[in-house]
Amino acid sequence: MQMGFYFDQTRCTGCNACRVACKDWNDVPAGPENWMRLGYLEQGETPDVFVAYMVHPCFHCESPVCADACPANAITKRPEDGLVFVDREACLGKEECGAKCLKACPYDAPQFGPEPQAKMGKCNLCHDRLAEGKVPSCVESCYTRALDVGPLDELKAKYGGGTEARLFKYSNRTKPAVILKMKNPQ
Amino acid sequence: MSNPQESNEVRIVRATSAFDCGGRCPLRLHVKGNTIIRVEGDDHPDSNKQLRTCLRCRAYRKYVHHPERLMYPQKRIGEKGEGKFQRISWDEALGILAAKLKETKDKYGPASILLMTGGAYLASLHNGSLAASRLLNQFGGYTTHYGNLSSEGAVWASLVQYGSVMVGHGREDMLNSKVIILWGWDPARMISGTNTMHHLIKAKENGARVISIEPRYTDTAATVADQWIPIYPGTDTAMMAAMAYVMITENLHDQDFLDKYTVGFDLFKDYILGKEDGQAKTPEWAEAICGVPAHTITEVARVYATAKPAALMDCQGPARSAMGEQYNRFAATLSAMTGNVGKEGGSACGGLMGIPIGHMFRMSAIPPGKNPVEMTGPKIKGTLDIRDRVIKRIHINKLWEAMLEGKQGGYPADIQMAWSVCNNYLNQIGNSNKGDLALKKLPFFAVNELFLTAQARYADLLLPVTTAAERSDLTYAWPSGPYYTYVNRAIEPLGECKSDLEICDMLAERLDIENFRLGAEEEILKLMVAQNPVTSKYVTDFDKFKNDGIHRVKMDKPYIAFRKQIEDPENNPFETPSGKIEIYSQRVADMNKPQCPPIPKYMPTFEDRNDPLFEKYPLQLLTPHPRNRVHSELYKVEWLAEVEPHRLWIHPEDAEARGVVDGDKIEVFNGRGRVSITAFVTRRIKPGVVSLFEGAWYQPDKSGVDRGACANTLTKDAYSGGGAAVMNTSLVQVARA
Repeated sequence: MQMGFYFDQTRCTGCNACRVACKDWNDVPAGPENWMRLGYLEQGETPDVFVAYMVHPCFHCESPVCADACPANAITKRPEDGLVFVDREACLGKEECGAKCLKACPYDAPQFGPEPQAKMGKCNLCHDRLAEGKVPSCVESCYTRALDVGPLDELKAKYGGGTEARLFKYSNRTKPAVILKMKNPQ
Repeated sequence: MSNPQESNEVRIVRATSAFDCGGRCPLRLHVKGNTIIRVEGDDHPDSNKQLRTCLRCRAYRKYVHHPERLMYPQKRIGEKGEGKFQRISWDEALGILAAKLKETKDKYGPASILLMTGGAYLASLHNGSLAASRLLNQFGGYTTHYGNLSSEGAVWASLVQYGSVMVGHGREDMLNSKVIILWGWDPARMISGTNTMHHLIKAKENGARVISIEPRYTDTAATVADQWIPIYPGTDTAMMAAMAYVMITENLHDQDFLDKYTVGFDLFKDYILGKEDGQAKTPEWAEAICGVPAHTITEVARVYATAKPAALMDCQGPARSAMGEQYNRFAATLSAMTGNVGKEGGSACGGLMGIPIGHMFRMSAIPPGKNPVEMTGPKIKGTLDIRDRVIKRIHINKLWEAMLEGKQGGYPADIQMAWSVCNNYLNQIGNSNKGDLALKKLPFFAVNELFLTAQARYADLLLPVTTAAERSDLTYAWPSGPYYTYVNRAIEPLGECKSDLEICDMLAERLDIENFRLGAEEEILKLMVAQNPVTSKYVTDFDKFKNDGIHRVKMDKPYIAFRKQIEDPENNPFETPSGKIEIYSQRVADMNKPQCPPIPKYMPTFEDRNDPLFEKYPLQLLTPHPRNRVHSELYKVEWLAEVEPHRLWIHPEDAEARGVVDGDKIEVFNGRGRVSITAFVTRRIKPGVVSLFEGAWYQPDKSGVDRGACANTLTKDAYSGGGAAVMNTSLVQVARA
């Protein structure tokens, strides 16, 4: 089974509640380490402007190239639900290995704090919440209900199999576990 | 029993915040010892019905436990405004304030004491504004201010047109609309009722056509609008007049509705057709003023008049302008012309959007008593003539001038000392540089605060205040429910902080006031629920309410403003003198005040595009709500600050003409001040308009440049005919720094 995200780009207002809720639940300090980030796209001419936002958590890829790239084997994929975890104890630190995981990831999911030899941190799909039958903090926080979570098959059945969105390119190499509803100009 | 503050167990405490924000959201605070370690939102089993909090309260614990919170009383040791203080005891602090109050009253009379209150804590019991009013009323009186910075234009317009401020619909009703026009409304940022954006998106997905009319392409518009119509600030009424012209000349208006429910349409029609002033309010006439193409105005008029039902969602932002109330009156008049008042899927307009269930206007409150200083002279409440109201009170947007000029300048008193609770007006009312002068001149200034805000820096005495997490209280939603919320105290007060109510209670003793105290917290809260005529109708089980932190009112169908008045007009007149919707108001006509015509009108104003000042300052400034603060509250919270840097929105045409590219350091200035900020070059704003989110803290440097880029360094300290603060009527220029 592979757990994954659903993101309805047409509903996202770019409010960043997901990002703040993620920092709160996972106790990530203010600064460059952001397990959830929002991309911003602006196109067109006044008044025919097109704006879209794209969430960037970790997509818990079916083929996690970050894990392959890690020289310390600190990144593993959990067989039962496909979640990709980092062992911060085992992580060598950003400068030590040159952030190989971040360089390998097409979505910049591996994140580092500002301190020297910062250990990698990233979205773990709030596995502790999932274990309690709750949805991840970002999903619970989305007041426009643009996010959902679940087994990828179920998400496909519920929302269709969309893999395209603005500011997102589906990587056939890594196979991100995400279903998307793309926003288009009106 | 063991002390929960010393336990390692995590407790879940049900609460809300009490910010002056657009939502009121159930929070589940995870508390360990005396620290909030996490925040979860509403856990209603139906996720669609969850009242989901926004990013602001997602960061609530970083506000409550912020390292810069004021933790003990302090007195000034540096120059006024320098921000240098020394720790003192509560005993000394209260002694200083009590002595100053007595001395000032004895020497200059009670009117020379200014009480500055505000909306920074919207709850029933620990409400500093009301507590301090109660205390000073019992002490002998004081001078205070009149007018609500946010909504005065909308309140005035709704009272004129409908005789009522309850002009809203339940948000679910948007699902019944075929067309929704967002006129200046951006609930994605300012929330405008918890879950409003959720309902708006559902309405859009249900097939409603959504049109956004405003100078910016807001996040709300970007999410739901089929069409964005950029318009110059302060000219909404020109476009609305032209829409009325199209409806009348194409016979699209609902004459039966107008005949049955309104008075004065004929006079309005004469104005629109040019019979009154020789100028027909054609779309071409409007285009030259508001910058919207005539054919677009015609098309919107036809769409709005023919789609039934249609909801014109006016709000309060465009009404914070030099003729602000005209915008809400005009919107309500268009709503009557299209027969959308009192109908499902329609909207009465008026800009306030509240329903009478769970509304903060119907909040239980500490009884403040009567102000001895205000016992004689014209009544403050009930009049539409602002000139009567400012005889005894200072208009909120004239506070600084009143301090500087006193009675000589025509203000009610010569202010000798001020006491501020629940506000940061130096930051939040017009013309911060004038505020800097006034507060430096003010002989004594006491400030109850949580942080060393822009205004608190000018204090002689600082009293540290608790957050809502450190109190139990009742909170009410803005703009309304249908629900009621209970704040359970999550943690014991941090440091030496006290609630404003407790501070007043301690002061009462020193001022020899015997009847101030209300009783124990929970007992009073219980009484407040039981004695509130609206709340008590719905909240019948106090213990369950307290335990759940919320009481949701089940409604068979969404509340619709004026449903009764429309369905059964014989038995339900409107609360106006005529009993009808007043497109023409005799009460306003009797005021005989050119700024307040008896029918809604477009009028030129100061600092519009035809003001001679426009040559020097050719950009119109908007100061909308930020998404990552509540006004100036939460400014210090890093989780929120990093979400969106403070930047000036400027169109590429205007940027290019000034050699500015995205990310450049720039200065924005006019005759009132100069701010330093970064440029956000975006096509999401109409050329000729720039936008600066309000609430960033005023930080003037030695040369007078505001490094914090507070929007009010640039805004004018003036008010409209209906009493609206003119936060969106300013001309500025931009240059590279």
